Amino acid sequence: MVNENLVKDVVKEPYKYGFVTDIETEKIEKGLNEDIIKLISQKKEEPKFLLDFRLKAFKKWQKMKEPDWAALGYKKIDYQDIIYYSAPKQKEKISSLDEVDPKLLETFDKLGIPLTEQKKLTNVAVDAVFDSVSIATTFREELAEHGVIFCSISEAVKNHADLIEKYLGTVVPASDNYFAALNSAVFSDGSFVYIPKGVTCPMDLSSYFRINSGDSGQFERTLIIAEESSSVSYLEGCTAPMFDTNTLHAAVVELIALDDASIKYSTVQNWYAGDEEGIGGIFNFVTKRGKCLGKRSKISWSQVETGSAITWKYPSCLLLGEESVGEFYSVALTNNLQQADTGTKMIHIGPKTKSTIVSKGISAGNSKNSYRGLVKMGTKATGSRNYSQCDSMLIGDQASANTFPYIKSQQPNSEIEHEASTCRISEDQLFYLQSRGIEFEEAVSMMVSGFCRDVFNQLPMEFAAEADKLLALKLEGSVG
Amino acid sequence: MEIIEKIKTNKSDDILTEIQKICLRKLQSSPLPNPKSELWRLSNKSKLSNFLDYSVNEKDSKFDIPYPKNSQSTIRLIIGENCQIKLIEKNYSIQQLSDDELQKYIKEQISFFKQNENWSDLLNLSLSCKNNILGLKINGSKIPPIEIFSHASSNSFNAKTLVIFLEKNCDVELLQVNLGKENSSLSQSTFFCLKENSSVNHGVVSYGEKRSNLLNSLNVIQQKNSAYNLGSLHFKFNYARFEISIKQSAGNAKTNIKGMQITKKDEQISTYTKIEFNGPNGFLDQINKSLADDKSHAIFEGSIIVPKIAQRTDASQLSRNLLLSNLAQIDTKPQLEIIADDVKCKHGATISQLNEEELFYMRTRGITLTEASKLQLSSYFQEIISFIPISKDKWDLLDKLLNEN
Repeated sequence: MVNENLVKDVVKEPYKYGFVTDIETEKIEKGLNEDIIKLISQKKEEPKFLLDFRLKAFKKWQKMKEPDWAALGYKKIDYQDIIYYSAPKQKEKISSLDEVDPKLLETFDKLGIPLTEQKKLTNVAVDAVFDSVSIATTFREELAEHGVIFCSISEAVKNHADLIEKYLGTVVPASDNYFAALNSAVFSDGSFVYIPKGVTCPMDLSSYFRINSGDSGQFERTLIIAEESSSVSYLEGCTAPMFDTNTLHAAVVELIALDDASIKYSTVQNWYAGDEEGIGGIFNFVTKRGKCLGKRSKISWSQVETGSAITWKYPSCLLLGEESVGEFYSVALTNNLQQADTGTKMIHIGPKTKSTIVSKGISAGNSKNSYRGLVKMGTKATGSRNYSQCDSMLIGDQASANTFPYIKSQQPNSEIEHEASTCRISEDQLFYLQSRGIEFEEAVSMMVSGFCRDVFNQLPMEFAAEADKLLALKLEGSVG
Repeated sequence: MEIIEKIKTNKSDDILTEIQKICLRKLQSSPLPNPKSELWRLSNKSKLSNFLDYSVNEKDSKFDIPYPKNSQSTIRLIIGENCQIKLIEKNYSIQQLSDDELQKYIKEQISFFKQNENWSDLLNLSLSCKNNILGLKINGSKIPPIEIFSHASSNSFNAKTLVIFLEKNCDVELLQVNLGKENSSLSQSTFFCLKENSSVNHGVVSYGEKRSNLLNSLNVIQQKNSAYNLGSLHFKFNYARFEISIKQSAGNAKTNIKGMQITKKDEQISTYTKIEFNGPNGFLDQINKSLADDKSHAIFEGSIIVPKIAQRTDASQLSRNLLLSNLAQIDTKPQLEIIADDVKCKHGATISQLNEEELFYMRTRGITLTEASKLQLSSYFQEIISFIPISKDKWDLLDKLLNEN
């Protein structure tokens, strides 16, 4: 029998991003009503169509009910007790990085995200979002040479209003669900990416989200458009300080891939998860969806979910274009009292579409980890294929692992395969590794890493290393 | 919906038994299941109201089992025909449950019932009159196979209930046949209690005629070291639901389930299973097959629940589906809920059509496409049919499935 205390020690998690940056911020008053929305829109100097979009979404949101079907339990959120806009005070316009508050740069340095271009990460352009606004976007000139637009969404609203008007809300309409409607009404910032026809983005693009205030929610919106025959790899990371209150994070991500385009979207989510008693932590309610509009287009989601007190997230693909491809690779680790209800939706609409789902869930402590996925073959999806694999690993006898795959087919000339398994770290394997002189803790970590390898192989280089380290860190404890 | 009216208006009729009264009370506040709940959201609403649109038949007309001929070695019982049975032989005994035993057991079961989850049973028990409840106590070994029939008469709603106690160390083969007549509704609830070390091979074969409906509910409680094998087949119903709930009350038991449903025309047949392990060392092997043709709809939802106490559970569930027409649809949702860590649980699901390469191979050997498809289908069916007890030799189920439309 595995020594229970050892296991408990091993899964103890130190959260190293829990610091608060002491910086002057501009906040608006708590609460949500039409005036607040108008105020946000006014602060961001938005065109009328966007204000209308927000107000329409707000009206829809008021008529909607918070969903309760997920296998999650949390105390009711008071939507009037949240600050919907919070931004670090800074000079009116920033022309170069030198003018950014050094404290902010320091914060991102601490998080391992150097924003100064001299210290550039291996070929990655970063858009850093702090609370409600984007602080800086690096490598813009180099990207502009290739015609790639990479900026914060508020800038895009000003400079590329036509693209925003054309595409915003086309993948995730405001009425899609409760949290998407809320986001559509109050979204503050996020990233915008446009890859023109025939361009392969010369470097990986990355957004880094940081919540700093304890009482403000974060509602970012990301929109990525890949024109014909273009391709891009986009990375997303997030952290938050440790507060004993719950902070709401409700983001919307929309991806659009046209003919022969490909988008790879990778996330390492490490929001603060709350302490061992489950106090504090981020409520993470995210709607992510990609639309494979064009023929032979491809959207690939990969995610490593280790943070948040509550995760409610289903990155999905609408496969419209003939021979389009959707992929979903996920590792979700829950510990202590964390709860995750995550998975994907693959909606096959066009003919000869293909999708692959690989999901690995690891539950430790008293946590709850559920995979919930939908695979649907529409009547026109002839010759389509889906393959899903969901594996769960349980560490300790208090954690729970659930699998809820919904499978629906209306097309006989298509194939769906689904398999799921649940296991725990095998004692034989542990014993074998220990007998070869490997420490218990390292052996557990090695096995978890092996369990997740299918997914890690899909992550971009920098992230794969980070994710592996992150999992090891989460599983590293006082032992050794 | 006549039945719902009856439930609503039935206040305190003196003819009603105590059980009927309890169930009616539970139903009266909300007589219909919640259409948005997971268990009912895919169910065809108009078919359900059609199911409930007949008046209750309380006195059965004499029923002739059309097929097959009874062989002397089987014991044959028909629910609703006032059958009195008391067989006490050297090795075994089959007796009717006394009223007290029956009441006590059913009441105990009802106390756990929830309006939505156990709606089918509540409906059944509130409408099933005393004549239509058959309670049996089976004891011993080398028992001849038992066949139990339940049927619906045309143009009426029929509620039949079966309660079976399998005493310790008992071993039996039992085939339950539910027959639907033209334009009829049958509500069949079965309660099975397997005592320690008992084992049963249970077969459930349900088939109807034109526009017949079925609500078939099966509740099984397995005590330690018992073995429950279920082979089931549902076909030819306008609307049918098969709800299985199995509880391994103290673990250490074995459950094998092989079920199949076949839908054609605009039929809808669904299977819902819920298997709970309330103790360690439980075993489950389940396979459910569906075939949907024409404009029909087949549904399978299976949940496996493994709480903390159920360490060393070994459970597997497989859902295999054949979709044969552009207008048919299949929904399947195998589901695992696990808290215990030392378990082996897996599930799988596939949806496809007949294997083209195999068809091509057979055709190159001179077999026609129709014949080749039949061959493939018969191998698909055979795995389940061979698991249904008693029926093998005399029921010609395969023939019925392949040749009848």
